[in-house]
Amino acid sequence: MSAMRVDAKVVMLGKESVGKTSLVERYVHHRFLVGPYQNTIGAAFVAKPIQVGEKVITLGIWDTAGSERYEAMSRIYYRGARAAIVCYDLTDGSSFQRARFWVKELQNCEEHCKIYLCGSKSDLIEGDRSLRQIDFHDAQDFTDEIGALHFETSSKTGNNVDELFQKVAEDYNSTAFQYMTAEETGVDLGQKKDSYFYSCCHNN
Amino acid sequence: MSQRTERRGGIHVDQSDLLCKKGCGYYGNAAWQGLCSKCWREEYQRVRQKQIQDDWALAEKLQREEEAAYASSHGPQTQPHPQSTAAQPHPGHASLGPFSKFEEKKTNEKTRKVTTVKKFFSPSSRSAPKKDTQEGKTPSPSMSRRASFDTDQVSKDFVDFLKNLQKPGREIHKQCRAFIVNMSSKKTQDLSADELSECVQDFYQNLADRLMGHFKGSSESVEQVMDQVEKYIMTRLYKSVFCPETTDDEKKDLATQNRIRALHWVTIEMLCVSMDEEIPEVSENVVKAITDVIEMDSKRVPRDKLGCITRCSKQIFSAIKTTKNEPASADDFLPALIYIVLKANPPRLQSNIQYITRFCNPSRLMTGEDGYYFTNLCCAAAFIEKLDAQSLNLSPEEFERYMSGQASPRCNNSEGDWPNADPAPTPINPVLAQLNHNLEVLSGLSSRQESLMEAAQSLQADLLSWPDSVQREVHNILEKYPLEVLSRNVSAIDDNDADNDNLPPPLTPQVFAG
Repeated sequence: MSAMRVDAKVVMLGKESVGKTSLVERYVHHRFLVGPYQNTIGAAFVAKPIQVGEKVITLGIWDTAGSERYEAMSRIYYRGARAAIVCYDLTDGSSFQRARFWVKELQNCEEHCKIYLCGSKSDLIEGDRSLRQIDFHDAQDFTDEIGALHFETSSKTGNNVDELFQKVAEDYNSTAFQYMTAEETGVDLGQKKDSYFYSCCHNN
Repeated sequence: MSQRTERRGGIHVDQSDLLCKKGCGYYGNAAWQGLCSKCWREEYQRVRQKQIQDDWALAEKLQREEEAAYASSHGPQTQPHPQSTAAQPHPGHASLGPFSKFEEKKTNEKTRKVTTVKKFFSPSSRSAPKKDTQEGKTPSPSMSRRASFDTDQVSKDFVDFLKNLQKPGREIHKQCRAFIVNMSSKKTQDLSADELSECVQDFYQNLADRLMGHFKGSSESVEQVMDQVEKYIMTRLYKSVFCPETTDDEKKDLATQNRIRALHWVTIEMLCVSMDEEIPEVSENVVKAITDVIEMDSKRVPRDKLGCITRCSKQIFSAIKTTKNEPASADDFLPALIYIVLKANPPRLQSNIQYITRFCNPSRLMTGEDGYYFTNLCCAAAFIEKLDAQSLNLSPEEFERYMSGQASPRCNNSEGDWPNADPAPTPINPVLAQLNHNLEVLSGLSSRQESLMEAAQSLQADLLSWPDSVQREVHNILEKYPLEVLSRNVSAIDDNDADNDNLPPPLTPQVFAG
């Protein structure tokens, strides 16, 4: 598995128990494990090849620990990421606040990183509309403002999950060329220094 | 010389023997093989010069052989017919074997000279025209300082690997050699670690680009080549670029080490690690994970170091999986890794992290699975560095007490969690059972020791009283039977004791009637 070539790094961000791992698990293994430990299923790193047009793009999906005690270290994780899926729980208002925090961080530190805002557990809302804490339009407005994309997914039913990752891969494919040309003209040389991501965290 | 020593055995030494062998009229010296100092110096220089030339010629020859081996592997530029591919390992081995030996032998003695020889062959002027880093003019002796078995082995593997690549292989070899010469010509002190890192990373980048563009390699094969290049280069450069003096890596290593030592009291519960070490498989995984992360320090190539981290991580995953019956997520993994790092206290952790960050091929570090685990390790190191009461869900007072060693959470926990564990300690954990067993054995030993001591003491007392008792007894006996000098009847010589002496009865005078 480690021998697998990975084209792009996709990092999962979000508060604890919003369902980051479930989302990955659903996407990669097409399953949803029901149990008391819903927040702790799946593997932490997955390399997943995706067919985009005629090409196959392998996404390396990085799960992160959502606990606040590791918040200071999260910058180490998303360094060099091409895409970040920032998750929030549709039934949890505070998780959206945390999502805003991460979006801000990403915008400050990783300009090459494309942001996907993902409201999870949409199946719960379909069952009972009163559970919804985050208005769809509010979230939509926010994502428009930051130039991100917005999805509402359910890892339980699989609703919108494949679409989300497919979009990530497609966007990567279309931006990869721009990025590569930018690299060749030498614009990226300054960026390179930043790629010593450990030392960066070290200094902050 | 031989006749001289023969004769020296004798007492007399001829005047001619003492003179210089060259016949210059000066006296010679045995230490200079019978020559005078002047002639000896001339002679010695001549021999030395000859040897240098021989070495030179040998090196040249070997280099030609090596090049010929490459040429033969792709020489005809047409399709490689099977015969040539089958034959090519042999000349390669033949040329490589003596060459590495030669290298080793030389480095032992005349380091300076060899580097000049090498410089001659290093194609620094010919290859990689676009690289400005090729301008190293004076290779320092340090480059060939290490010709250990490892390095030789790696060089050999590298050459073997490149042989299969035909023309690009030769180019890669040239570039790498030039790069190593160039890197070692730069004094490590002159360059900061970041600059060194940049040199290496630039080299990776340029070589990869060149392979992609010029030789039209597929991305997989380029990656494969880059792995080998990294292995070769970093093995050669390891000593000079690992934990360089220009950085404070060493200081950080010590700080981290002390920090981890000070945090010895952190328990698995505080970190919310979902590993149950009482399950034998889990504790086995934990031990293996610790071994793996410690082993990282012994590897030279960044990729091998990453491999250790990955193996360690896999052990942790299986430990979590065994404990929870579910595959682990990052929420479980990171705390567990922190716990493992705290337990292992891996040697030179910061240096290793910095080394990997600086010199690993960036594509692997940033995206792949190894990169993920490495990032987690960085995170764990950063967490440990900044760890405070809050991150362990403790009150600041508690944290302070534990840090100062005034209290130990383990004791508190065992009292709080298992109040009735003390009367009958159920050996759930094999380690605990072993501990109990050891304690029993120890207490048995100590009681036996005590009884032995008692016996020894009573023996001592016995021994001390024995002379007394003997004395007393003797005294008693003496008293009971006082010494009486019995006035014996002095027996006269002529005592009539006919029974005792077997003397014949004295002759009695007999009167003969007459």
